[in-house]
Amino acid sequence: MSWRKWLGILVVAVLVPGTLIFGAVVVQDRRAYLSSFLVIVYAMVPFFLHFEKRRPKARELVMIAVLSSLAVVGRMAFFMLPQVKPITAIVIIAGVCFGAETGFLTGAVSALVSNFFFGQGAWTPWQMFCWGLIGFLAGIIFHHSRLRKSRIALCVYGGLSTLLLFGGIMNFSSVLLMNGKLSWPVIVATYAAGIPFDLMHAASTAVFMLLLARPMQEKLERVQVKYGLMDS
Amino acid sequence: MALIELEKLTFCYPLRQAPALDDVSFHVEEGDFVVVCGESGCGKSTLLRHLKPVLTPHGTRTGIIRYDGAPLERIDPRRQAQEIGFVFQNPDNQLVTDKVWHELAFGLESLGRSQQEIRRRVAEMASFFGIQDWFSADVSQLSGGQKQLLNLASVMAMQPRVLVLDEPTSQLDPIAASEFLQTVKKLNRDIGTTVILTEHRLEEVFPLADRIAVMQQGRLMAYEPPAQAGAFLTQHSCGLQPALPAPLRLRVALDDIDAGQEFPLTVRDGRKWLSRLMEGRPIAYRRLPVKQPPKREELFRVKEVWFRYEKNGRDIVRDLSFTVRQGEFFCIVGGNGAGKTTTLSLLGGVLRPTRGKVLYRGKEVSKYHGELYKQNLAVLPQSPQALFVHKTVHADLMEMVRGEDDAAQRIEEIAQQVGIAELLDAHPYDLSGGEQQKAALAKVLLLRPRVLLMDEPTKGLDGDYKQMLGQLLQQLQSTGLTIVMVTHDIEFSAQFADRCAMFFDGSIVSSGEPRAFFGGNSFYTTAANRLSRHIFDDAVTCGDVESLCRRNLQGEEAI
Amino acid sequence: MVQDAFSGYHPAVNFLYFLMVLLASMLFMHPVPLCIGLVSAIVYSVMLSGWRALRFSLVFVLPMILVVTLVNPLFSHQGKSVLFYLWENPVTVESCVYGVVTAVMFVTVIVWFSCYNVVMTSDKFIYLFGRTVPSLSLILSMCMRFVPRFKAQVRTIATAQKCIGQDVGTGNVRQRMRHGIRILSVLVSWTLENAIETADSMRARGYGLSGRTHYALYHFGARDKVTLVVLFALSAVVFAGFFGGELSMQYFPVIEGKAFTAFSALAFTSFLALCLTPIAIDVADALRWRMLRKKDISDGKNRMENDGAD
Repeated sequence: MSWRKWLGILVVAVLVPGTLIFGAVVVQDRRAYLSSFLVIVYAMVPFFLHFEKRRPKARELVMIAVLSSLAVVGRMAFFMLPQVKPITAIVIIAGVCFGAETGFLTGAVSALVSNFFFGQGAWTPWQMFCWGLIGFLAGIIFHHSRLRKSRIALCVYGGLSTLLLFGGIMNFSSVLLMNGKLSWPVIVATYAAGIPFDLMHAASTAVFMLLLARPMQEKLERVQVKYGLMDS
Repeated sequence: MALIELEKLTFCYPLRQAPALDDVSFHVEEGDFVVVCGESGCGKSTLLRHLKPVLTPHGTRTGIIRYDGAPLERIDPRRQAQEIGFVFQNPDNQLVTDKVWHELAFGLESLGRSQQEIRRRVAEMASFFGIQDWFSADVSQLSGGQKQLLNLASVMAMQPRVLVLDEPTSQLDPIAASEFLQTVKKLNRDIGTTVILTEHRLEEVFPLADRIAVMQQGRLMAYEPPAQAGAFLTQHSCGLQPALPAPLRLRVALDDIDAGQEFPLTVRDGRKWLSRLMEGRPIAYRRLPVKQPPKREELFRVKEVWFRYEKNGRDIVRDLSFTVRQGEFFCIVGGNGAGKTTTLSLLGGVLRPTRGKVLYRGKEVSKYHGELYKQNLAVLPQSPQALFVHKTVHADLMEMVRGEDDAAQRIEEIAQQVGIAELLDAHPYDLSGGEQQKAALAKVLLLRPRVLLMDEPTKGLDGDYKQMLGQLLQQLQSTGLTIVMVTHDIEFSAQFADRCAMFFDGSIVSSGEPRAFFGGNSFYTTAANRLSRHIFDDAVTCGDVESLCRRNLQGEEAI
Repeated sequence: MVQDAFSGYHPAVNFLYFLMVLLASMLFMHPVPLCIGLVSAIVYSVMLSGWRALRFSLVFVLPMILVVTLVNPLFSHQGKSVLFYLWENPVTVESCVYGVVTAVMFVTVIVWFSCYNVVMTSDKFIYLFGRTVPSLSLILSMCMRFVPRFKAQVRTIATAQKCIGQDVGTGNVRQRMRHGIRILSVLVSWTLENAIETADSMRARGYGLSGRTHYALYHFGARDKVTLVVLFALSAVVFAGFFGGELSMQYFPVIEGKAFTAFSALAFTSFLALCLTPIAIDVADALRWRMLRKKDISDGKNRMENDGAD
């Protein structure tokens, strides 16, 4: 792994949560929301800039755009089950098949594009960050590992990342948005209120990983082989 | 000096024995309009892709391609991008951005042109191509024809010297196709852009071309002006027989009787040629006997059906009534947006009429449930891709018969019948368009349908594939299958259907047996009919005209 | 939908405006700017998309507001003025007021975003970031192209599958799930294989050459310059007031605001002006239009009278 990747991990795993907690705990009042919002945004900037700097090829751009659009449109395929959305699962698969960077970008772009259609809101950067992070970690854990073939591992990751990362961070953002004063009861109440939704989301992602991961991996690998895509 | 010179170009795809291009040499002068033709798989697409280095496929290559005097691969990439424009087959896949104006500007942005210059060029293109009205639209709102015109315009915005087009009209309806090709000709004539084009509507492009390149199995068989190419094709059909322009096809068919030294390419020339051929002969047989199909059991009855998509929307289908009989091959022809596809969806039970009834075997289609698609109806969608779920054709067929005792045998049979026996282990997406069509057909036929509903099955197919499909359908019909199809393809319906109906403005305006039906139209009819109607009545296919000529010239016994 | 005049301004102006009002709405807890924000947001939203849309979005968020209003006094027991005890926990006036304030802020943000979604269309957003992150903005543009296309493909696939006996609209949850996976799986193959040609088409039109430029239909004109300067100036005053403590409001342990000063009055006025900028532009535009019409009509009348005199 290159130093850039390590740096990425450092930013994602240490710096960002650290600053978030710092902003939330030390700088009280509404400024907590602002500072955490900014952290979210600045955490994504290096990814975007790095991607721009290496001048990606046409095929990479198209592939990220296709994966993100699939993630957005995916919910339409389940029009008969409205609460089920495969966006997290597709983001994870993007990370697993094409690596951490593509995973991150697919996640972030999916969130942004999805909100172009369903309405942007204060949640947009948070969602971009959450899905980006889930895709990124999926790439780090699975892309070069034999685990990528393990349905169980993918399933567990899908469920856990949705529950802990997505649920955890999005609930945190609503705590910040709705309550200037952070207090444990409020935090606990918000998380508790979110649990049914988060569990549902996590379970559906896990099911998707179980059913969708292998066929989608095969399809992506086929295109990679047939057209020599994204050779690393 | 020629603009493009090919010298002994040979190319072989990896892991293939036979070369895709075999010793191809020719040159294209600046300002030429060259049409490359040949049956499917003859290497014409491969040839075109060699003219644009970024698109050249991987493989082993010998020979030289020179562009403007220098080997093509040594030309600066910027110059290649700018001077050689490439338009692909599928109008949708080529569009990159979501806005029409952005698509027009895309190439110029890549070339790094200034805001000011792009603004001027984009305005110029929009005006030339008549895009002003939808300049700020989303590309998703455009029709297929508009999309392809936009693709052409966005390539032309870069002011290329050479325009390479790979079957650009195969996905378009005849009117949009004709408009597109006229625009290409206008570019060639008024701007002087060199055009190299592959096309299966040879009827349309032969009269436009300066040179015709005929290819067969990777070899260049002829490279001649159209008239000479016509003469050449009369002697050696190169597998192109069914795709040739109708006048030429007729001329080829009558080559054994003294047909003169003319090789007519257009309907106008064909008329003159036919007049001369029949000059001074008494016309004893003016028409062929009309076959009356036997009255058979009624299968579909559509009774005063109306349909609209939205509550306050326009009626797409209005007051439509017709019947389809057991075992017939029924074609609904008509222009774009007339409601043909909607009608097919109404028959197939996908949509429900807002008023009126669609009866299948005396019972309303909506009253059938799952069993409608089990051994009753089969619907072949316009895009066969929508049916492929699995990794191999075999697996895709297998899912239709899973659980049946003779599954393997049935797949074997259907594959033989449809002609995809060698393709069973291939991935559906590795097949050509025609092969995909056949595989999809095999898949729906495994449902053992009594009726086959098809939406534009000949779209994008070469002439030879169309013939194969037509024969296959007739063969299926002889086993008792009823076929209902909507199409733009009048030539195909004239040749193969038992009954045709013309759809216009939401309803059927006329219907009848093809000879009577097309014979009664004077514009919306086949080329064979148009070129022979001053001599014969109701001759609608080349076969009809040929047999009438023979009867009149050689007597009854000649048949 | 009526096209408002402010939407016709340069995207940078639109974006800066929303950035400022949204920041202000999320940060200011003082009742005066809160009310200014709420009222302006509602007025602008009604101007943009009418009462119906507003009513719809309010009905949608009303339960949320109720929760926010109630959660605060129930969980936060700070504050001196105890109203009553609920299960031995004090419910205070301060936390009730704070609950209402938070709810107002919440509604304001949502209404501002509903305006944002009308004014800042995807192409404006893509244009704004086109220069800094060109590849990403191209990806976004492609997504805006792909999503409607893929949706149409999903419909095609669902119909085609229904016609071979795979009806997706029926069955129990498990079957529905399986059908959904099936549709998605067909869609993935179809779109991936098509994507290669899209990439080819990009390369055929020179994508990847160095020095790519960005074309846009937007022109930064004089009125954009003026508006931008005005927006900046107003925001500077407002945020100077905020960071200077002029807009601060204390809710715990007792509700206590800072006394009005000339500076705070200036900050409030500036905030009002900031919020009303697009509304003012729209109104001015409508007035100008009416004047022109009137002038045209009277000119026409004069001309007719002159013609008659000739």
